[in-house]
Amino acid sequence: MNKENPLSPHIQIYSWNISSLISISHRVVGVVNIVILTLVCLWIALLLLGEANYEYIKFFLQSFFGKFLIVGIIWSFTFQILSEIRHLFWDFGYGFELKTSKISGLIVIFGSFVLTILIYLFGKGIF
Amino acid sequence: MINATKKWIFLKASSIVLVPLMAWFVINLVSIYDKDYVDIVNFFSTQPSKFLTSLLMIVAFFYSSLSISEIFEDYVYDEKIKNFANKALNIFAIIIPLFTIIIIFNLTL
Repeated sequence: MNKENPLSPHIQIYSWNISSLISISHRVVGVVNIVILTLVCLWIALLLLGEANYEYIKFFLQSFFGKFLIVGIIWSFTFQILSEIRHLFWDFGYGFELKTSKISGLIVIFGSFVLTILIYLFGKGIF
Repeated sequence: MINATKKWIFLKASSIVLVPLMAWFVINLVSIYDKDYVDIVNFFSTQPSKFLTSLLMIVAFFYSSLSISEIFEDYVYDEKIKNFANKALNIFAIIIPLFTIIIIFNLTL
């Protein structure tokens, strides 16, 4: 096989629309999520230090910044979940029409924010 | 079957497994993140969360290494840098979940 693969044009040459916004966000969020999961791994590893040392982490997680981080993680995960489901529909041959693609893109954007709120409230046992 | 097709199938298969695992994890994360040390250790050291967290780490890092290597393929011009980046990524995607699983299976109160 030819090793000189054609490279993708860089993102700045495209005019922005919902499809391109979701496409680049999907890639960025994918990278961000692996950083988040690495932090989760670090969080689990820090449990080995014992209860006394864990108080510092608990203090951070209970602070405004900790809560902001958790809400950010929820949004990042829900965005990837919805975007991944959109991709899976495409893989089965559904949703390629321009109108459907725009609607599914909007569902990914707004759905990720709505799901973030619902998951936070559900996780905190508010309903 | 060419390598690109195999890679695509692995990427899609892992994404099908990853979607429910991420949903499960994020819901549980919200309910435990600000809890006491004992509650968090209990969560990670008991079933089914012990198994599901381990599975999430394996699948998520596997999926990420495949998808990030696609980004390298699309945007990195230099073959040497690309190969090095892919190797580093693969090592990272094996070591981090492996250590985490070892830790999870050794967590006790």
